[in-house]
Parts: sequence; C-alpha cells; structure tokens
Amino acid sequence: MAEFKLPKNSVVQKGKIFKADADAKNVKSFKIYRWSPDDDENPRMDEFEVNLDDCGPMVLDALIHIKSKIDPTVTFRRSCREGICGSCAMNIDGTNTLACTKSIDDVKTECVNVNPLPHRPVVKDLIPDLNEMYAQYASIEPWLKADTPLPERERLQSPEDSDLLNGKNGHGPSACILCFCCSTACPSYWWNGDKYLGPAVLMQADRFISDTRDEATGERLDQLDDKFKLYRCHTIMNCTSTCPKGLNPAASIANIKRKLAERNA
Amino acid sequence: MSDKKHKSIISPLKAARGMGADKSGFHHWWMQRVTAIALIPLTIWFMFCAVGAIANASYDRALEWLSSPLHAVLMILYVIATLYHAALGLKVVIEDYVHKESLKIASIFFVNFACFAGAVASIYAVLLVSLKG
Ligand code: SF4
Ligand code: SF4
Ligand code: FES
Repeated sequence: MAEFKLPKNSVVQKGKIFKADADAKNVKSFKIYRWSPDDDENPRMDEFEVNLDDCGPMVLDALIHIKSKIDPTVTFRRSCREGICGSCAMNIDGTNTLACTKSIDDVKTECVNVNPLPHRPVVKDLIPDLNEMYAQYASIEPWLKADTPLPERERLQSPEDSDLLNGKNGHGPSACILCFCCSTACPSYWWNGDKYLGPAVLMQADRFISDTRDEATGERLDQLDDKFKLYRCHTIMNCTSTCPKGLNPAASIANIKRKLAERNA
Repeated sequence: MSDKKHKSIISPLKAARGMGADKSGFHHWWMQRVTAIALIPLTIWFMFCAVGAIANASYDRALEWLSSPLHAVLMILYVIATLYHAALGLKVVIEDYVHKESLKIASIFFVNFACFAGAVASIYAVLLVSLKG
C-alpha cells in the first residue's frame, strides 16, 4: 500500500537550539531538517537564530551564514545562487522552491522551516537522492533525433516553431532548470514515483515532442502511452503552482495527452 | 521472481525504463472521457425523466414507462456508461494506492467482474420488463 506514516527511524525529533548573540536586533529563526547517515539517530529539526543584519536577503544566504558562522556540518547543495542551476531546491515554509531566489522577507511565519524536497530518500540534511529522477530523465532520451543528414548550417526553425519550446513569454519547457521542485510536489509522483515519470521529466518529453526539428515524435509518443509513465498525472496542478521559475509542467502534460489523442482517437 | 532470496542489482536507467510502455494509457484515458461525456445527458435524463416518472408512479405505471423502447434503450445506455466509467475510475484508484502486485491484480479483477456482472444483470432486467410489456 501507499505509505501514509513515516517509518519509525524517519520520525522527526526536536533538535538543538543555537541562539543569536544577545546584541543582535534583527533576528529570525530557521528550523532546519538534520539527518546524517553516519550515526544511528533519527532526523531532527535544529533551530538557528540568524542575525539578519549580518546576512544577505535570501534563504540561501541564511543557510550559508549558518554553515559558515554557526554550524559547518549543515549540508545542502547550491551553486549558481541565481536560480539557474537548480541545485538549491528544497522545501521552504511548506513549499518547494529555490533557496537562492526565495526572499527571507517573503516568509511571514515567525520561523522559517527548511526541509529537503519531500518524499525522496535523504542523502544528508537538505540533500535528497535524485538519482532515480535523473535516470527517468535519461529514459525519455532528451536529445534531438533526426535522420535527415545535417544541413550545411543549423537545422532551421521558424520563430513560431521556437515559441513552442521557449514559450512566447520565455516560460516554455526549454526554460526548465530540472530542479525537481514540481515532481517532488506531485502526490501522484509520491505514490508511484518508481513508475510515473513526473512533471519535470514529462515537460522535457514535451520539449522534444514539440521540437519541429525532432523526427522521432511517434517513437516518443509510443514510449509514453502507458498507464503509469504519463497517465498517472491526475491534473492536480501542484507542479505548476510550485515551479519557482513560473513554468507550467501541467500544460506540457496536457499537450502530450492532446498529441496522443490526435494520433489515436 | 519465485526465488524469494533472489536479489538483483539493476541500474537506475533499467528501472526507469521498466518493461516499456503498456500502450493502454491512451485508451483508458479516452474511454474515461467518452463515458464521462455520455453520462452528462444520460444523468440529466435519469434524474428528471426516470426518477420523475417512476418515483411516484404505481408499479404498473412504472413497468409501462420502462417498456417504451426509447426509455428502455436509454436505461441500458445509462447502466453501461455508469458501470464502465466506475470500473475505469476504480482501476485508477487501486493502481494509485495498492502496491502489492497480487492484491492489485485481484482487486482490479474483482472490480471489473462486479461492474460487468452488474451491467449484465441490469440489462437483463430492463429487457425482461420491456419485452414483456
Ligand atoms: S518545471 Fe519548474 S519546478 Fe519543475 S523542474 Fe523545471 S524549473 Fe523545476
Ligand atoms: S498536474 Fe499532474 S504532474 Fe502536476 S502535480 Fe498534478 S498529477 Fe502531478
Ligand atoms: S543555487 Fe543555483 S538555483 Fe539556487
């Protein structure tokens, strides 16, 4: 059965509290999920009081502040700190988003809760295991397939053709940074993530199905016509509402279903 | 794998590809929508005509109503669309939440059988009434 309760060794405990200096005036608390594979302890929520006058504006700044000034063992991924690499995806204040583009001011609650992306095995602290999702991404063969020999110059697209990928507003499937905020917010992916491909990967499938230069459309649709891989999407729309880049994976999924209907109905 | 102790080491990519697409996704999705659309007028007919005509009528009057070819045919269509739609929908719910393969197959079989048997019994009843009339 789908699991609705955490296994015993995953139940989250109360953690330590790290107080800010007494003279700090602008203090905000961050509760951070801690778990390490190296001891036999259950996960816990450690609370860190951060002096915001000594810290940048984003949640990622606070995490870096905590790591460099309070507890160097706090573990998370980050790289670009400008919302383009997708590494700092985590659950902040109950919503999957990017720590580097999430402003601390936008968290209205007293304390900022920071958890790893939901329903994934945890590697350590805020780092989820995404290997399965990368493999699902590889399984849709995310590269251009064409049998027509390479022309002298590039393969051409009309501006309208490229709109299908980039979106008229720049928010098309090409703008996805594969942070997996969406897939890990999708209840269908929680229950059946081993077989359902999830919104992030399906949006990339759509990116190649919609690419006018790609000549493998039929083969790609064949690979998705499956009760789990594609049709586990029940149009719950969590994916679109959580995407930190403002993209619409649900629309991509609808587009694939429309293409299959066009072909098969 | 019948051998309970058998443990496999497979790559994440092999797991992700699984056994490939079952090619049943579209058909199921499509039939769910076709039956849903068919059920819109049929349910309106059922609520207003059937319930309206039968609820306060005498037994004989109700039999007479159902023996009219139009109402008998609509009633059969209504039963088929409802139970087909129910079977398709319940299958999805079971696949979502029941992950033990044997239990999943058994539950889906049971749901399909119950819906099919319900449809056959209902159609038989409607025909019995309408052909006698
Ligand atoms: S669609 Fe949005 S949330 Fe999903 S992986 Fe792409 S950028 Fe991240
Ligand atoms: S619309 Fe589909 S993919 Fe998006 S959250 Fe819902 S079920 Fe998941
Ligand atoms: S650090 Fe690259 S997206 Fe946040």
